[in-house]
Amino acid sequence: MSLLAADGITKRFAGITAVDDVHIALDAGERVGLIGPNGAGKTTLFNCLLGLLRPDAGSVSFDGEDITRLPVYRRARLGIGRTFQRVELFSGSSVRDHLLFAHRIRRGTGALWKDLLGLGLPKPVEIERCDALLDSLGLGGMGDEPIEALSLGQSRLVEVARALMTQPRVVLLDEPSSGLDRAETNALADTLARIQAEQGFGLLLVEHDVELVASFTERTYVLDFGRLITHGSTADVMQDPEVRSAYLGDFAAGPS
Amino acid sequence: MTASVLAAGVVEETVRAFFQGLPIGAGFALVAMSFVLTYKTSGVFNLAFGAQAFISAATYFELHVRRDWPIWSAVLVAVVLVAPALGLLLERLVFRHVHAASAVAKLVISLGLMVALPELFKLIVDYNREQPFGAVGIIPDGTTVYRLFGRYPVTRDEIAAFVIVVAAAVALAALFRYTRFGLRIRAVVQSPRMTELNGVNADWVSSGSWMLSSFFAGLAGVLLVPTTSSLGTVLEPQGYFPIVISALAAAALGRLVNLPAALFGGLALGIVTTQMRTHVPRDNVILAELQGPALPYVMLFAIIVFWPAIRRQVAGADPLLGVSPPPPALAATSRSRGMTIYTRIMALAFFTAVGIWTFGYANNFWISRITHSVIFSIIFLSIVVFTGLGGQIALCQVTFAAIGAFGAMQFAQRWDISVIVGMVAGAAIAAAVGAVLSIPVMRLGGIWLAIATLAFALFFHDVLVKYSWVGGSLFHGRGVPRPEFFGVDFSSRENFLILCVAILVLVGVLIILIRESSTGMALRALRGSETAAESIGVVSWRSRVIVFSVSAAIAAIGGGLLAMEERLVGYESNYDPQTGLFWLVIVVVLGARTVEGGVQAGVAFVIFPELVLDRWLGLHGAWRYVLFGFAAISFARHPEGLLEHGKRRSQALMQRAFGRRQPAMAAAGAGEPADSGTETGGEP
Repeated sequence: MSLLAADGITKRFAGITAVDDVHIALDAGERVGLIGPNGAGKTTLFNCLLGLLRPDAGSVSFDGEDITRLPVYRRARLGIGRTFQRVELFSGSSVRDHLLFAHRIRRGTGALWKDLLGLGLPKPVEIERCDALLDSLGLGGMGDEPIEALSLGQSRLVEVARALMTQPRVVLLDEPSSGLDRAETNALADTLARIQAEQGFGLLLVEHDVELVASFTERTYVLDFGRLITHGSTADVMQDPEVRSAYLGDFAAGPS
Repeated sequence: MTASVLAAGVVEETVRAFFQGLPIGAGFALVAMSFVLTYKTSGVFNLAFGAQAFISAATYFELHVRRDWPIWSAVLVAVVLVAPALGLLLERLVFRHVHAASAVAKLVISLGLMVALPELFKLIVDYNREQPFGAVGIIPDGTTVYRLFGRYPVTRDEIAAFVIVVAAAVALAALFRYTRFGLRIRAVVQSPRMTELNGVNADWVSSGSWMLSSFFAGLAGVLLVPTTSSLGTVLEPQGYFPIVISALAAAALGRLVNLPAALFGGLALGIVTTQMRTHVPRDNVILAELQGPALPYVMLFAIIVFWPAIRRQVAGADPLLGVSPPPPALAATSRSRGMTIYTRIMALAFFTAVGIWTFGYANNFWISRITHSVIFSIIFLSIVVFTGLGGQIALCQVTFAAIGAFGAMQFAQRWDISVIVGMVAGAAIAAAVGAVLSIPVMRLGGIWLAIATLAFALFFHDVLVKYSWVGGSLFHGRGVPRPEFFGVDFSSRENFLILCVAILVLVGVLIILIRESSTGMALRALRGSETAAESIGVVSWRSRVIVFSVSAAIAAIGGGLLAMEERLVGYESNYDPQTGLFWLVIVVVLGARTVEGGVQAGVAFVIFPELVLDRWLGLHGAWRYVLFGFAAISFARHPEGLLEHGKRRSQALMQRAFGRRQPAMAAAGAGEPADSGTETGGEP
């Protein structure tokens, strides 16, 4: 049984079928890619998995439990973490704050009465945990920096760190390479691979940078026009003529 | 036979009400369309609209009635000259500099102008509202009655109003659809910066559209004088406020951007009002109220909450908004240790001096003023919670304060329960009301939340407060005692002041605890990015409910204390919803993000007009509205508040002067922010 599974997801917008009867599955500790040209339905599927969109048909399950109707925050608390294509950080907060928030909320220790009695203030041990994770991501010593002072690559790492502080069992990465150059992308991929190997969470990578997916994932799903055109081990998928034509076609038609 | 006569009577009444409602609706429609025009052309939710209308109407009144100018020349000056000139001034001096700010920042600025403009006009023109006047419209012999179909009476004024409104609607629609100017306006609204990149001078387009919308405000101002004179004297500075709010319901139907929807919404609102007045029985108190002024507020609230287009509407973001620098860190988080110690010693010295003076030398008047400042500081801390912590704007804190005041009064007078218990019970009731109110407005953000809470405040003001179980009997709301507990009698001025200070300190400490703990973390996360906050498991509705009820409880505690201090509830002078708008303005101007900011606002609200304006400068007390109202303009540039901003600057200067190394935070936060709601992140 898979950890995170989507069965027959279909989503239509005003007559357009953005995602059409798609099945994907992800096991614990696995690195899986989801690729497709622009407009293939990757983001729609992603949002259905996270609960930002409700599918018209099909179901999403996590650890054997049907989560199709659960709101975003409930899924997050079950252990689904994510990052954003367009970086979504908490403006006005420091780097460490991001981790601290995630840590607190995951533990669900947010009772108002505790706060009012002064029991809710950050404890040294929590701050240590945050700083330890920052260290291992190469952000050591940046805990007090305001989030606005970071580069895009660092911001993406903070997003990853924030997701990891919730102790997720699956992390969904939404186009982590967008806006990064090749060197930055590689550095991000290396860090992710190391952390993932250490902590053993499942990783779903939604990307259109085929190179990154090829080097990083074990299995890959390919979407085009809302339908799953193929899936299998990443090496096999990359040789598939249909995949090549989907990408070449996209290339020939220009970016949509 | 009798049945058909009866039916004929009902038909006749209905038709009569229809023709009565049409001109009222035309007035609403004109205001609603002007509202939409301003919003469309500048992204400003212009609550100062009533102030602009008032200035034209008052100018017209001054010229025509008091100086005997002929109608045409008075209209020419008031509507064709003064109104567009005012619009140009507002655009040049105010809104041009904030066009990239968030919709909420613009709303706050317009609130400030709404308070400041009429007061400034009165101070300059020496306008005397006590002067009796007939409801003189701009149509000669406007009260001449014609009979439609030989049966239904309409006045010449009403016909003129209807015709002018329809003509205005057609002209506006044509402007937007067929002219280059209209196209450019639409582009500027979307993104002024983007439009400039395309070679259009956004400033000129913006000036033109403000002159146009101000002209409409002036037109509405003079046109509405006869139509609404039955509601009372319209030529009060804030007399246009109820009409503006009613028209808002119509404008909201079109999400503030759809002109035809505003036109038909306004007409429909007028017709529904008169139909209800005709057909709904008056024996039930609630139904009777619904026929009166409460109807527009209920409709406004219902439209905002239930209209799907509004629920789905996400605040339109300027695609180039991300180029603005982020808001700076608070001064307190960026100062060196030496600065912190210095600041604390100075604060301690200051409070000791004030304490010694108050208890040793001050007379009764000043003790009472200081007590008032402490109490208003507590009330204003509720705005710190809602706006500073929660990052939202609510315009109903005044209602929660009133609930606290009535709670203390009712419990003490009806059941002879200790007034302090009454105050706590009042706070609990306010918290419950706040929690209930938070549910329907859960998904609303930005200006819609502000308007929905304003509608609630107005509903309370016009309907609920009249019930004896809420407001008691207003004229007997006297005799609120001061408390006595643990054997201490707090009825003397000095003792009561000590009690208030203790409660202020307690509330301040609790707010800081909340801000630094889990609840505050969730709120900061939500304020930073709701999507990201939910992705780590923040429950946004829970945080909303907490913010609503905590801030309601704090306001209610302040209200209870104010009733004890004044020994009466004083609803009309303290808790008018428009007073509440000024509360919000003064708090956000001085600093809504910190507890200090709230306290400084409380002191400024009470002491400033007495001490600085009256005693030192010898100015009229109304100048406070003008000064703080115009100071609201600074909100767009310094959303953290003027005092916080000044503090950060002087701190940076001092640290430089004493050769201290600047911490990284201060250096990063030193950039001047241009707006408040900036999305974070690196460059796209």
